[in-house]
Amino acid sequence: MRERTLFLSAIIAIVLIGLGFLVAGQANLMPREASTRAVEVDQLFRVLLGVSTVIFFLVEGALIYAVLRFRKKAGDESDAPAIHGNTSLEILWTLIPAAIVVVIGVYSFQVLGSIETPGRGPRVVEVIARQFSWGFRYPEEDLATTELHLPVGQPVVFQITSEDVIHSFWVPAFRGKRDATPGQVSEMAITPTETGVFPIRCAELCGAGHSIMTSQVVVESPEAFDAWLAQQQALASDPGQFFLTLGCGGCHTLAGAGTTASVGPPLDGLAARAGDRVPGLDAAGYVEQSIVDSDGFIVPGFQPGLMPKNFGERLTPEQTQALVAFLMAQP
Amino acid sequence: MTATSASPGWRRYFTWNTDHKVIGVQYIVTAFVFFMLAGILAMLVRTELRAPGKDIIDGATYNQVMTNHGSLMIFLWILPVLAGFGNYLIPLMIGARDMAFPRLNALSYWLIPPAGLLMLASFFAGGAEAGWTAYVPLSIGGPPGQTLWALSVILLGFSNIMGAINFLTTTITMRAPGLSMWRLPLFVWGMLATAILSLTATPVLTAGLVLVAFDRMIGTQFFAVASGGDPILWQNLFWFYSHPAVYIMILPAMGIVSEVLPVFSRKPIFGYRMIALSSMAIAVLGMTVWAHHMFTSGMDPRLRIPFMVSSMIIAVPTGVKIFSWLATIWDGKLRFTTPMLFALGFISMFLIGGLTGIFLAAIPVDLHVHDTYFVVAHLHFVLFGGSVSAVYAGLYYWFPKITGRMYDERTGRLHFAANFIGSNLTYLPMFAAGLMGMPRRVADYDPEFTVYNELATFGSLLLAVSVLPFLYNVILSWARGPKASANPWSGKTLEWQASSPPPPENFEQIPTVTSDPYAYGEEAPKAAEPAAAPATG
Repeated sequence: MRERTLFLSAIIAIVLIGLGFLVAGQANLMPREASTRAVEVDQLFRVLLGVSTVIFFLVEGALIYAVLRFRKKAGDESDAPAIHGNTSLEILWTLIPAAIVVVIGVYSFQVLGSIETPGRGPRVVEVIARQFSWGFRYPEEDLATTELHLPVGQPVVFQITSEDVIHSFWVPAFRGKRDATPGQVSEMAITPTETGVFPIRCAELCGAGHSIMTSQVVVESPEAFDAWLAQQQALASDPGQFFLTLGCGGCHTLAGAGTTASVGPPLDGLAARAGDRVPGLDAAGYVEQSIVDSDGFIVPGFQPGLMPKNFGERLTPEQTQALVAFLMAQP
Repeated sequence: MTATSASPGWRRYFTWNTDHKVIGVQYIVTAFVFFMLAGILAMLVRTELRAPGKDIIDGATYNQVMTNHGSLMIFLWILPVLAGFGNYLIPLMIGARDMAFPRLNALSYWLIPPAGLLMLASFFAGGAEAGWTAYVPLSIGGPPGQTLWALSVILLGFSNIMGAINFLTTTITMRAPGLSMWRLPLFVWGMLATAILSLTATPVLTAGLVLVAFDRMIGTQFFAVASGGDPILWQNLFWFYSHPAVYIMILPAMGIVSEVLPVFSRKPIFGYRMIALSSMAIAVLGMTVWAHHMFTSGMDPRLRIPFMVSSMIIAVPTGVKIFSWLATIWDGKLRFTTPMLFALGFISMFLIGGLTGIFLAAIPVDLHVHDTYFVVAHLHFVLFGGSVSAVYAGLYYWFPKITGRMYDERTGRLHFAANFIGSNLTYLPMFAAGLMGMPRRVADYDPEFTVYNELATFGSLLLAVSVLPFLYNVILSWARGPKASANPWSGKTLEWQASSPPPPENFEQIPTVTSDPYAYGEEAPKAAEPAAAPATG
């Protein structure tokens, strides 16, 4: 009897562990791994998945077996045996989970140390979050951009902050996420390993436009990256670049700046219709009002409340006027 | 018995009444009304998310709906319904005539309806849009509805603290003769652990919300970044309460499961002392894990390690409970009544919530899945698959005691089946969506996540429909179900010694306790014989 129980337990254990390995090895639950960090995080994830699979099938299996096996027989109104406990069993199912948890904890700690240590000679990229767009700065080049480009294989440290409420900078393909908190700078180290275009998402509720606060990171060869940097620097002397840096292009279409978003009204040919929008405001006056107080007039078919309200504070009067002049000049 | 049921009738439920049973029913029914409202909001969310793109509501409205869904479910459904069970059951289970402070008890109930109305009123004042977490500075800058939201939660905080004082005092001082702590029903142990957590943690949230309300109403600068205020401070204050709140919402639910399983297995609970101690261990450890919600925030990176360790250790006492429940039904003579089905459903779904909690505690994985639909799935498996399943188990189990009538078993099983399938269909796909890159609290998403969201929306429809057989069953049975005897389940805890429903002051004579509450399979020891303490080994 005792031998049979042992034998059965061994079979069940082997089957469960095999199942754990199978699920952990075969499951494909995350986006393509695009950074060194992703490889390490996924390895840890697979270990957790394997252990959880064993526990899951052990418990659910025992539950289903008990439900099928120990149903009351018809007509039997007597009680079941009065078993109050079993000390060795209780010690066992306290100690084994404790041991598993210790191993997982130590392993997680090692992975954490590894993924948060930046690679050799990292490039710093500043990430600026605001309702509801992302801005980027390359301090070495003193260059502000609205797109994030990275050279493949080169370590990078993101320095992340926010201009208004809390956001969270998340690149699922990198497996990394860090909150953008106003008044402080948080760092996240990444080494991209795959070229391609990967989504950037805001992961912390930040207001009405939380779900449209998206962007993307372009990981490319060092040569392509250098070419892009040079092109961006040339653009920086252009007022259109200023438009981009502010993040306007995240929501507005403007051919002159190469943007195609449709969250807010399109801005091409604005000068021709701006004068008719609000009685008492000329074209330039209307454009200025729309920048500093966007809900003063809502173009029919668009939603109020999405555009940041703080451009009046963020821009100097000269900058506002330069932007108005740029927009008025667009064909 | 004759004088009791004839007395004040149904009208007493709408009055200031100090009978703990009336207050218990007031809590439960009021909470259920808010559950229905929060469920309607959930259906709005799922309808909007059925397909990508804007379907029925815009981003700002979505945030209001989502905020009130979460806040109502947590603060006005799960917390008060469990407090309702505590009110109804603790005096009965410990052989007392009422709670220690009956008028304080009535007051803690009567704070709830105005608080609920205040929260709903936020919809007409621009809405509360910052989620139930109300992170600053978003919640400071929001529309006036956010102030009403904060005031509502402050009121509920007071209600919660007063309730905890009552539960604690009653359990410690008013137990019947012979009812030692080691003979206390496990539901009472769960409520005891909960009361300690509430007393320690709730004042912190309430004080934090007072600061938020001051920032909004009288221009203080506690959280204003420009004046040196710290947004992370709010996260510490909030989670110092709100993680323990998860245990406040699960420990009584685990207590209900520990009551239901032995009765319908006709076996003693397995490892009584370990389960009771696990509740206390979870309560103590639960105070030390709050910052695991902040691994991605700007908190000091070195502080994350102890929080990871404490969060993982909680898996141990939780595992002890699950294994003990399995051992309880093992070799039993199982009766698959509706409460038993919901208790078994609790184990199978709470397990998923518990296992995925380990993923979230492991910091490297958390840095990917934090604030995604993985978390949404995890918390719904804990709070809906877990707490709400246990609440349903409790509602069916004590229905004969509370109403004096039996519910209909077949309708109950139908309810269980729809609820169980609906829960899994709604929440399982969310794990996949989160891992693949879908953030939580979004009104819109990438088309690649459509299939998960369609499944979830379909499941939620089933969940919504599953409430109908429950309401039908409860209302009809309460009005004209067959009369229930005092002890229809042959339970051993003290509430089954009182009549169904129990008279005011519960017992004609306070019972003397001579055995443990789960003495199944043994000849009931006659009063004279000193009963064996529940064995631990």
